[in-house]
Amino acid sequence: MDKKYCVYICTGCGIGDALDIEKLTEVPDEEGISCKTHPILCSKEGVDFLKSEIADGVNTMAICACSRRVNYDVFRFEGCIVDRVNLREQVVWTHPVCEKPADEDEEFIDHLQMLAEDYIKMSMAKLEKINLPEPYKLESFSKKVLVIGGGITGISAAIDAAKAGYEVTVVEKDAILGGYAAKIRKQIPVSSPYEGLIDPIIGSKITELEAYSNITIKTETVVARIAGEPGNFTVTMKKPSEKIEFDVPFPLPEKMKVDENGKDLDAEAQYAKYQEYNEGKIDILKLDPNGEKYGAVVLAAGWRPYEIEDNSCAHLGYGEFPDVITSHQFEEIASRGKVTRPSDGKDAKSVVFIQNPGKDEDDSDFDYSGSVASMVALKQAKYVREDYDADGKAFVFYQHMRTPGLQENFYKSIQQDEGIFLTKGNVMSVSKNGAGFIVEADNTLLGEKIQVKADMVVLATGMVPVTVDDPVINLAYRQGPGFRDNDIFNGYCDSNFICFPYETQRTGIYAAGAVRRNMTIEESMEDAAGAALKAIQCIESSNRGVSVHPRSGDMTFPDFFFQRCTQCKRCTEECPFGALDDDEKGTPKPNPSRCRRCGTCMGACPERIIGFADYNIDSIGSMVKAIGVPSEDDFDEPPLRILGLVCENDAYPAMDIAGLNRLQYSADVRIIPVRCLGSVNVIWIKDALAQGMDGVFLLGCKHGDDYQCHFVKGSELASIRMKKIGDALSSLALEDERVAQFEVAIDEFDKVPTIINDFVDVVEGLGPNPFKGF
Amino acid sequence: MSNQYLVEPDVDFIKELEALGGDTLKKCFQCATCSVACPIAPDNNPFPRKEMIAASWGLKDKLVKNEDIWLCHNCGDCTTLCPRGAKPGEVLSAVRSYAITEYATPKAFGKMVNDPKKLPILFLIPVVIFIVLGTLTGLLNFAPGGDEVAHHLFFSTWLVDLIFVPLAIAVAAIFALGVKRFLGDIHENAIQQGRTENKPIDAKAFIKSLISILPTILKHDKFNECGENKERGTSHLLVFYSFVALFVVTNIFFVVLYVFQTHGPYSQLNPVKWLANIAGIALIIGASMMISSRRRNSDQPSGYKDWYLLGLVLGLGVTGMLAEATRLADLAGLSYTIYFLHLVFVFNLFAFLPFSKLAHLVYRTIAMTYSEYTGRK
Repeated sequence: MDKKYCVYICTGCGIGDALDIEKLTEVPDEEGISCKTHPILCSKEGVDFLKSEIADGVNTMAICACSRRVNYDVFRFEGCIVDRVNLREQVVWTHPVCEKPADEDEEFIDHLQMLAEDYIKMSMAKLEKINLPEPYKLESFSKKVLVIGGGITGISAAIDAAKAGYEVTVVEKDAILGGYAAKIRKQIPVSSPYEGLIDPIIGSKITELEAYSNITIKTETVVARIAGEPGNFTVTMKKPSEKIEFDVPFPLPEKMKVDENGKDLDAEAQYAKYQEYNEGKIDILKLDPNGEKYGAVVLAAGWRPYEIEDNSCAHLGYGEFPDVITSHQFEEIASRGKVTRPSDGKDAKSVVFIQNPGKDEDDSDFDYSGSVASMVALKQAKYVREDYDADGKAFVFYQHMRTPGLQENFYKSIQQDEGIFLTKGNVMSVSKNGAGFIVEADNTLLGEKIQVKADMVVLATGMVPVTVDDPVINLAYRQGPGFRDNDIFNGYCDSNFICFPYETQRTGIYAAGAVRRNMTIEESMEDAAGAALKAIQCIESSNRGVSVHPRSGDMTFPDFFFQRCTQCKRCTEECPFGALDDDEKGTPKPNPSRCRRCGTCMGACPERIIGFADYNIDSIGSMVKAIGVPSEDDFDEPPLRILGLVCENDAYPAMDIAGLNRLQYSADVRIIPVRCLGSVNVIWIKDALAQGMDGVFLLGCKHGDDYQCHFVKGSELASIRMKKIGDALSSLALEDERVAQFEVAIDEFDKVPTIINDFVDVVEGLGPNPFKGF
Repeated sequence: MSNQYLVEPDVDFIKELEALGGDTLKKCFQCATCSVACPIAPDNNPFPRKEMIAASWGLKDKLVKNEDIWLCHNCGDCTTLCPRGAKPGEVLSAVRSYAITEYATPKAFGKMVNDPKKLPILFLIPVVIFIVLGTLTGLLNFAPGGDEVAHHLFFSTWLVDLIFVPLAIAVAAIFALGVKRFLGDIHENAIQQGRTENKPIDAKAFIKSLISILPTILKHDKFNECGENKERGTSHLLVFYSFVALFVVTNIFFVVLYVFQTHGPYSQLNPVKWLANIAGIALIIGASMMISSRRRNSDQPSGYKDWYLLGLVLGLGVTGMLAEATRLADLAGLSYTIYFLHLVFVFNLFAFLPFSKLAHLVYRTIAMTYSEYTGRK
């Protein structure tokens, strides 16, 4: 593209009042780039003006006005490269106007004007280095949806996707559909008025499913492997317990990647070991010629009952007395017929349901348990009353009674039963009393230590996602067949429960139902709809060659300059989404539609061969170099220059909100937004320091177990790289403290000035960078 | 002892409470808004939250043998503020109703009083007694003569006393038995909860407590602490003092008759007669106020036990005043009929006193005394 540049400065929103606009227009002029101003660029007149400029041939523009986060649709022009210079939120709203000193001899440094000038220079440098993106097109494309799991969630997801017009295949490992929902006596209500128990709805759901001509049902089938990428998955299926050559290979364990002396094996030796380790299995890069093509996958593999570990519930008699059972075992008994005792088959007319095993020490639930356990206890209490109408009694001892949403009505309806008794309380012990038990509880609502006689005791154990035991999804990805680091979610398939429901750590795989968290049938059905829609969004995005999530609609994708690749595998290993597979030599094979465009690979690459059309090492590096670093040649006391690389997901918005609130911070800081801290390549930091900047900080999301990183691992990887940068700094004889990383959440805008100013103070304390002026 | 309490819920008890007007008791989710809202609950262990869980767990002993249910004056603050519509005030009212039946012997009467289907029987009992006894003794004259209308000509005063004096003794005896058991139970309960010392009730101290709470009762102080239904204090005060006055009047005339041998009807100029007339009118006004406020209050639905008692009180007042008015108007036949009806009402109120809601006058007094005695705060 033949670029025709122009810089446009908006003088509205206080920009014209705070800055010397005329002086500002000289900045592009000096570079031979024309610069025009307008009182309100976002007005109809302003936009018409820009359109007339485009008609006159301008195609690469710097719009110096408000933040890129506002008016983004107003300033989007087809076929044009547009960069937004944030003069409003991050210049005039956050910094005071510098008054000329009365004493003419005193040195005047106009910090505000310098800040605005730098940002315009940086934008011009960037525009030179970026290009319009072109979408990535898959070679072959499938719009079919694969649903793994034929329980209530899988069935619902399949119906929802089929209703939307997509072809669906449901695979179920058992011989019949229905999953756990088909094994229960009655269920918690799924619709208004949410009262009492209802008959299981799974039967009617199966009938509904079977009526769709665009749904294929495969029972007694599991997924052997899923290869390829969203929009073009190649799926190999098999019978459960069957062994085939397209079973997914597992990555080599860490300890096998080294030789006897503990030295890393080279790529080829590792590959040989890997093949040995996965003998009889074909490598991931070879596609199954008989595999079926799918566009996206809904993982609805469900759960299994939690198994109580030995002795952990000894005080409740579990393991010792056969009539102390789990809620799952109780459901099995109840679904067969009358509620009876497993030990002697006699009527269980008085049943105690225990929700929390922790005595008085802690009030936590059983593992993998939650609101469903509360509602199941209420449901099962009702079974006792159904079976023994006249003299049945059911007691529920709980620490938390959770009946979310309209299920409160369900709670109320169960509570209304004269023979159901509910109380908060610590269950202290279950002891034998003839053929039955005495259950002792403390701190109850009845105010004292109480004892209750029981024929049977039921423990509210949880629902373990099946992905705890097995990857199920069996992805033919170099990083392995399952989801990485899933243990921080207790094995639930998730990537960020609060922000991104259904999203797993693998693009195109959407989890729903009990594999995501414990859910009722009602919740599972709703969840299925969400995952089905996500799968459809993925298919339609991949089809247009754009990113699905969270950078929905982003047309760029990482481009590799392979001639310079050293096969270090860092990109393959660090990609949070397993988007890259490497071959036997270790050369990465990108799978662009698996990619979420975070740029973590770009940040990782020591050879700096990875980049995006509009975001690459050179574009950001050029921005860094465009920052003016005043030295003693310019001023007696030159101001500091500090670079801030700011994550555009949460930290950059927080800075904008700080601006909206007119919070002030140092004008010595130059901000460059980055896609994710994971995309920050250390070369930018080195360049900044080498050209005399005094400090560099990274501002991004929280990392750790409760991370807020939109790309899961970006901010964590950045922090690892920042720790390692210390060596490079000491080789330059610079202090470690000149580089720092800070965390900020989107709602912590009030902390932004403190974070920035404190860092400026630290750098000031260290003194100016000795490389200044070289 | 208190730290090891074996809980055995009585499902039938729950069902009975529900039938007695406590049908909302299972709605409680133990937030304790009621205990906070209650203006008269003590600070320690306040009612009615603990009564609500005891009710929903069917713990009969914890409720019936508990003086707190009687400390409640059913003002309805808790019921109005309850976020679940569990109506603690109504539940306590049902528990009291159950407790009255529990402590009154014979129980059959208690059941009859609470059963609307048995209402005709309750009215037939005095009618049959009056006619049978009156006919046998000849004290009931169906064709009274005389120049002026005098009720004793039709229904001899001797017959009245022949029936009502033994009835009063029987009622007192039934109460005595009930109160003995009641007091024993609440004392035992308080000992179990460690609220009082484990020794028999000190009669002297108990009477002292009774005397010290009398002003509270006479002034209706507890009623005035209520937020909702404040006017109930006034109507209750009217009815209460009417009964007190009528009780005094009856006793004076009893003495006059048997000591001074002076037979009524007495002159309207007699100050005692004034008192009687004022009391009669106050009774009608008070009862009417109670009925109308109950009809207006949809938050606190009134049940059969409430209407039965209020019907009796109003009927008693109206028939009493009408019997007098028709007597003065010389309408013999009408006046005698109304007088007969009046006596039927009186009989109902008296005879079933230990079984009806009116028994609260004894139990609440005892409970308040006991609470004072144990220093409940």
